[in-house]
Amino acid sequence: MVNSQLVSRRGFVATAAGSGWLPTLAARAANDPARKRSCIVLWMSGGPTQTDTFDPKPGHANGGPFKAIDTVAEGVKIGEHLPDVAKQMKHLAVVRSMSTKEGDHGRATLHLRTGNLPQGAIEFPVFGSLIAKEKEQPTADLPGFVSITPRGFGGGALSAGFLGPQYAPLVVGGAGETFGTEQTGGLRVEDLGLPANVPQRRADERRELLDDLEAVFLASRPGTATKSHNSAYQRAARLMRESAAKAFDLSDEEEKLRDRYGKNRFGQGCLLARRLVERGVPFVEVSLGNWDTHDNNFVQVKSLCQTLDPAWATLMGDLKDRGLLDTTTVVWMGEFGRTPGINPRQGRDHYPNAWSMVLGGGGIKGGQAVGKTSKDGMAVEERPVTVPDLLATVCHAIGVDPEKQNMSNVNRPIRIVDQSAKPVKEVLT
Amino acid sequence: MRVLLVTTGLLAFASSVLAAPPDAQRLADRIDAHLDAHLKAANATPQSQADDAEFLRRAYLDITGRIPATRDVYEFLADTDPNKRGKLIDDLLDTPRYASHSAAIWRAALAPETTAIPEARVFRFGFEAWLRLKFRANTPYDSLVRELLTASLSTDAENPTPALRRPEDPNPLAFYAVKEAKPENLAAATTRVFLGVQIECAQCHDHPFGKWTRDQFWNQAAFFAGVGRQGEGVFAPIAEDLTVRQITPGMGKKPVAALFLDEKAPVTRRGDTPRLTLAEWVTAKDNPYFAKATVNRVWGQFFGRGIVDPIDDFNDANKPSHPELLDELAKAFADSGFDLRFLIRAIGRTKAYNRSSARTDASQDDPRHFARMAVKGLTGEQLFDSLVQATGYREGNGRGSTRDQFLSRFALSGKPTEPETSIPQALGLMNGKFINDATTLETSPTLLASCETPGLSTAERVESLYVATLGRKPTQKELDRVVKYIDAAGKDRLPERLGDVFWVLLNQAEFRLNH
Repeated sequence: MVNSQLVSRRGFVATAAGSGWLPTLAARAANDPARKRSCIVLWMSGGPTQTDTFDPKPGHANGGPFKAIDTVAEGVKIGEHLPDVAKQMKHLAVVRSMSTKEGDHGRATLHLRTGNLPQGAIEFPVFGSLIAKEKEQPTADLPGFVSITPRGFGGGALSAGFLGPQYAPLVVGGAGETFGTEQTGGLRVEDLGLPANVPQRRADERRELLDDLEAVFLASRPGTATKSHNSAYQRAARLMRESAAKAFDLSDEEEKLRDRYGKNRFGQGCLLARRLVERGVPFVEVSLGNWDTHDNNFVQVKSLCQTLDPAWATLMGDLKDRGLLDTTTVVWMGEFGRTPGINPRQGRDHYPNAWSMVLGGGGIKGGQAVGKTSKDGMAVEERPVTVPDLLATVCHAIGVDPEKQNMSNVNRPIRIVDQSAKPVKEVLT
Repeated sequence: MRVLLVTTGLLAFASSVLAAPPDAQRLADRIDAHLDAHLKAANATPQSQADDAEFLRRAYLDITGRIPATRDVYEFLADTDPNKRGKLIDDLLDTPRYASHSAAIWRAALAPETTAIPEARVFRFGFEAWLRLKFRANTPYDSLVRELLTASLSTDAENPTPALRRPEDPNPLAFYAVKEAKPENLAAATTRVFLGVQIECAQCHDHPFGKWTRDQFWNQAAFFAGVGRQGEGVFAPIAEDLTVRQITPGMGKKPVAALFLDEKAPVTRRGDTPRLTLAEWVTAKDNPYFAKATVNRVWGQFFGRGIVDPIDDFNDANKPSHPELLDELAKAFADSGFDLRFLIRAIGRTKAYNRSSARTDASQDDPRHFARMAVKGLTGEQLFDSLVQATGYREGNGRGSTRDQFLSRFALSGKPTEPETSIPQALGLMNGKFINDATTLETSPTLLASCETPGLSTAERVESLYVATLGRKPTQKELDRVVKYIDAAGKDRLPERLGDVFWVLLNQAEFRLNH
């Protein structure tokens, strides 16, 4: 959706950045009534430990060695290795009472990402695809769902299922193991660029030949098949064009800002998420892996937090500076939590019974923690939240009707979120 | 451990030997008579017959799951036999590719969980291998269904049957395993796939359109009441307790006994599995649903939509477009001894199947008239195997292979006549490594042959790429445009320009679709 108005605004932002103009711009973006709401999911693959992050248990043996620190939200304490996130807590609401049933990575991932457990032949779409379908503008240059460095268990975890491939995410992968300082920050849209042996001019010529030669067939067979084929190629071509591909180019961001996000794939992924949301992409997902800390939990979690904390906090601040925070809901979660008890290998194991996730930004009443676990962290004591409850809450925050139905591959209409869902009203504005 | 012994298909075999061989052309003519009457009544103008190339490509894709090879195209176009189309259908049905393509299609129908649930994907290999054996031998369809429904399961709970030994071994138990060996799942699949009845909606409430009640759903589930897995997960071993003949639909509910859909009570002898009784009723020649559901499913496979559509949803609110045709097809299929190849031989010989997919009249837009051939999407298997055929690419088909990646990236979902293409798919076909290698001289067997065969004119080189990709010769207009494109660049750039043409052909909708 890089229309000319947006492009000119972007140019404006580039020149205005760092010059004190941002607040005005922010106000303008925030007041734009046509601005669509977006969602950024920070997906913590492997299942992040709640005890060492958002539900600290100081003074209990299960609490482990990390301290709890104050945040800018009164009475809300979090783990000591998230100091920058603590400063953003007035925009964030912690849900400490997630209560789910699946302790297997694959099944839990499917459950959290689709809202459903496997049910025979039904190909449940991931949440991002469902939202993309509701929010996407068919004429947009950018797709409705972008997944950045996807990590996660279960091969079909990123499937658009019965919604069809046009709602599948555009995947931005990490290129190679080493992280360079090149243009894209090591992030790369799969197959977006021309192959090395095909220069632009050759690509243009053969594309023109394709359009010419295909015209007769397309005209003689009107219908969904030819129409969808043609439109996907047109949109892919638009995406390849410089202006759209620019969305994925981080080199026109200020070096200082890039540093603040963190010069690692997740940090730059969060920055890319902001760029995409800014350009009207309704659903972006950024993944951070390695949360499956069965061994050596505390060393690993400290190191993960050093990546997570600056990236997430900078994202919140950056969205705010640009007037995007009110229309962008930020979700932090994994497929389950981890045992409050510490195992003999200084690790924590899978724990779906009682865990935490965080909501923030658009549509969310920040500065609070909802739900409560017992002193030892083993049980939810107040306000259990199920997977459908959570997804329905996100729907409300971004203005999607969770009860809307889509026709499924088994010819049965299926709601975006299961009917049983009760949104967590306390966290909604 | 006691394992069930099952008798299969002897009666059907005997009857098909004794009767005169069924006449596929006669059935094809009857089909056309029904369709023509309907077209006339609807005042619709049917499209004329497809040319040989369009028909050839379609028949290859529908029967063997991939496009024809270059030599097949030239041979068929040169053949002057007026009966060559019918003969082609017969020949294709005898190829191993017919068996493997049919296995992929029926695997997806019988065990869609192998697509929908990541951990169940490994069952695809053994289940397709088992189905392949059946289609290769042209096992009568009723026998195939009986074998599947009565697959032998240990009756010793202490010593259950493993659901999966070696993934590649032919194995019908995938059907049970991916349905979690649950009676209700097995009953739902049985009635849906074999009888075209979606009774599973009645699992929780009485059917909204049809006459089915909750009790009837559980009556069906009761045939599988003794089946269960030992442990959790799709790989858990399975056993059957033959003494269990009733099922309890839920807490506090009364146990329900097995009853056929026609409300008659089954008689299962002690020591037999109720599955045997169910299988005999399902596959009986006079079963009111079985033959109709099957011919409708096969019809849908070839025409893109069923006479009842969706193909597996027979109910009072979803009437067939051609009821008499459906009845007659079902009877002919049953009379043939449930011979799937006979059914396909007849369908392939109809005028309707031989029509072009091009639209020449607005009345052809209503798909219920079958006035022109539908444009169908390719399954991931059809697309990849066709790409391999066109490009000369060679690779094994193990797990994690290029083929496997294509299958998930290009899996077909939704209605077969309304396939969608995504941006990532388009990007993959335009810029991805597979197509780039295939259109680069050094890495492309097809391009190499087109480019370096001595003594060919540019037009002949172009023709070879058209035939390899689209299964037809280029039109004069296409040829003019392409030859100009190539010659304008000079002789030394011939490989690059031919590569461009090949890229264009592989990226065309005409290649990507079955039309």
